[in-house]
Amino acid sequence: MKKNVMTIVLAIMLAMLCALPVFAQGTKESAAASAAPVKISLWYGAAITEAGPPPADWVALQIIREKLNIDLELTALPSNESDQDVKIQAAGAANNLPDVFMVRRDAWLRLVNQGLIAPVDSLYAKMPVRTAAQYDSASIAFTTVSGKSYGFASPGSISKNEGLLIRKDWLDKLGLAIPKTTEDLAKVLHAFTYNDPDGNGRNDTYGFGAFLEINNYEGGLGRRLQPILGAFGVEGTWNLTEANAGLSVRKPEMYDAMVYIKSLVDDGSIDPNWLAYQKDDFRAAWKQGRFGVMREQNAAYAATANYAPFDKNFPDGEWIVIDPPVGPKGHSSVGPYTTGYRIYAISAKAAQAGKAEKIAELLEWMSSDEGYYLLGWGVEGVNYVKDANGIPVDKDMPLGFSTATGQTVTQLRNMVFFNGDVELYARYPKYVTEVSKKEMSALDVLRDMESRKWTPNNGGDTLPAPNADLKRFYEQGLAEFLTGRRVLNQQNWNAWIAEFDRVGGKAWEDAGIAHAKANNLLY
Amino acid sequence: MTRITEKTRKTPALDLYRRQKRGRLWREVVRHRSAYLLLAIPFVYYIIFKYGPIWYGQIAFRDYRALDGVLGSTWIGFKNFLTFINSFYFWELLRNTLMYSFGKIIFSLPLSILLAITIYEATGTKLRKTVQTLTYLPHFLSWVIMYGILLTLLAPGDGIVNDVIKFFGGRPIDFLTNTKAFPWIVILSDAWKEMGWSAIIFIAALMGIDMSLFEAAMVEGANSWQRVRYITLPSIRPVIVVVLLLKIGTILDAGFNQIFILYSTPVLSVADIIDTWVYRQGLLQFEFGLATAVGLFKGAIGMSLILFANWMTRKVSDTGIL
Repeated sequence: MKKNVMTIVLAIMLAMLCALPVFAQGTKESAAASAAPVKISLWYGAAITEAGPPPADWVALQIIREKLNIDLELTALPSNESDQDVKIQAAGAANNLPDVFMVRRDAWLRLVNQGLIAPVDSLYAKMPVRTAAQYDSASIAFTTVSGKSYGFASPGSISKNEGLLIRKDWLDKLGLAIPKTTEDLAKVLHAFTYNDPDGNGRNDTYGFGAFLEINNYEGGLGRRLQPILGAFGVEGTWNLTEANAGLSVRKPEMYDAMVYIKSLVDDGSIDPNWLAYQKDDFRAAWKQGRFGVMREQNAAYAATANYAPFDKNFPDGEWIVIDPPVGPKGHSSVGPYTTGYRIYAISAKAAQAGKAEKIAELLEWMSSDEGYYLLGWGVEGVNYVKDANGIPVDKDMPLGFSTATGQTVTQLRNMVFFNGDVELYARYPKYVTEVSKKEMSALDVLRDMESRKWTPNNGGDTLPAPNADLKRFYEQGLAEFLTGRRVLNQQNWNAWIAEFDRVGGKAWEDAGIAHAKANNLLY
Repeated sequence: MTRITEKTRKTPALDLYRRQKRGRLWREVVRHRSAYLLLAIPFVYYIIFKYGPIWYGQIAFRDYRALDGVLGSTWIGFKNFLTFINSFYFWELLRNTLMYSFGKIIFSLPLSILLAITIYEATGTKLRKTVQTLTYLPHFLSWVIMYGILLTLLAPGDGIVNDVIKFFGGRPIDFLTNTKAFPWIVILSDAWKEMGWSAIIFIAALMGIDMSLFEAAMVEGANSWQRVRYITLPSIRPVIVVVLLLKIGTILDAGFNQIFILYSTPVLSVADIIDTWVYRQGLLQFEFGLATAVGLFKGAIGMSLILFANWMTRKVSDTGIL
């Protein structure tokens, strides 16, 4: 017994001896912890998806650590939007979201409803410079749910930055005028398909090029066909006019638009690959001279690197921006436009851990002169220099911000850019093409595209999205009418619309109109 | 025989016996420690990735909210299962899934057996190795690359196949967006991609056949076809049955990666399978409970089918995996 007691006493003493340094160390560590950098994880949308992430020894990370006492961990989101949603939602499902992250609105709304995102209303005042540059009442409204703002909506892609383009050299060769109406357009598309506009003696060109690119406010047949749908007044998923509010697909004019597009498909005037194309296939196709009319984005068409292959293949080729065609009832539009935003949200977990104010500090620094130029263009003298007008340029600089290596240090530029003039001039400089020696400017193209006729659709991207089954029914039905799997006549169309309503189409429209009214989106 | 009661259970002799038995087991483990160490790796893998997640399977029966956690979320019974079964496209999804699964079994399995036998019977070593290498290489290509190859081959505008059709005066076929052609593209492209890889297991089985059987058959005057029919096929029948049974166990996995890459809006009616629906409805719409319910549903169906098929094959050929 005595022996046992001695053993127990010795064991307790040994345990205490072991534990003492732990407690002592703990005290020391907690004191040190207050001075240690705050770890903040950031999931960002890369500015140039094909370029790599910023280097590990990136100077911005060092400055952030030294000046802000923040240890910033960067993770690039996938380039594909659906993959982005999956990554973020999977992290959300495990309550393991990063501290701050870029997120698309649909996924963001789901996370808000799950209580996984922190409200940020109190943080705007802590970021005076950034708020003045990036956030206004419209952007705050974009992230407001039940009276609270659940994220920062930074300016996204420039609105009205696409246009209807036509091969001017093909028109000239065939002696055709620029099409003004849908009738003219059909004739031009037919001629481009069957009259050998490139003069190579082969029947290998088509009139119109497209692919299915669908988003919340350009549903159904998607963005690329909007100039044709616009001629019938049914561009965009939603019509947001007070007098005619509702889903475009439920308007009688949609049937007329479908009949017109079907006639183009039947004539063979639309590149038959259009339903199988992905974005890159489409872009490779126009550069190979496969079609002569398309809706394309200003930089994707005219920026130096993007135009170069076309310039090389067709030194005498020339695209010009034209007005969208006018339809039988006088309608005309390139498509709907809305103000684009990128949402950066703070996870509820980060807010609970007391990181929200530190994140605001980080974002404010990003919008300071130092952060803005560093994240936007890199280090002055290394990645860019300023020209006489104060515009960053990188001509002949081996690590220039537009070179493959230099691009990596501008991957976070979407967090600081607000589509200001300096950015646009720097991003879209005038240049002379290598082969044809044409002077080009994606900025001039942008200004031209902006001046064409567009349909306002502000808030169209915030309206309720259809559920997965209804979305499938909607998109599949339209595609099937065009491919001939469903015969397109008024009777079949009416039956399909009735079925669409039964699956939930009418309820979707009612919910959308109610949301639009409640948020003053109708005009 | 002495009946073991509470009283006898406590006897020193029995205790000693048990201690000795435990000691022996431990000594055996120590003696074969290298084998047990090797076993530890898959053991840990299965614990973490296969058995651990079973705990989370309960969210199929809950209205899962990440903030509340697995245990904090409300029980909703079979609501998630009913949502799936009552889905507008349920029967179409089930039909497509089964169509692709069975289609792949019907085409891929005989093709890989045929390829294995052909390679085994081929006499030229170099030719045999070349064919084998060329046929299993596509297995290592991702479906993204395969899509690029298929587009180059089958695109209606400038695909090589359509160029040939046009050369002979035919009308181009929109293989990838045509509901009639699409299922064949899926099944045949999968057969092409996986045929060589699947043949490896059959080649291994063929290597195990006693050569004297072939020699005896040749002496008796059996031709090649007869040797294949009466020796080769019966000899590898157990392997064929096992492979078939394993495939039946995953009958509701019709190949998410492949379909997801290949499908497009015009062919959804014949391309949408359970897994692509789960991706859209479950993951993109934040319905993780629903996605889990469908996973459980698939697992239950797969297990039932494998048990049934195993029972059937035991009845018919006395071969099985259980």
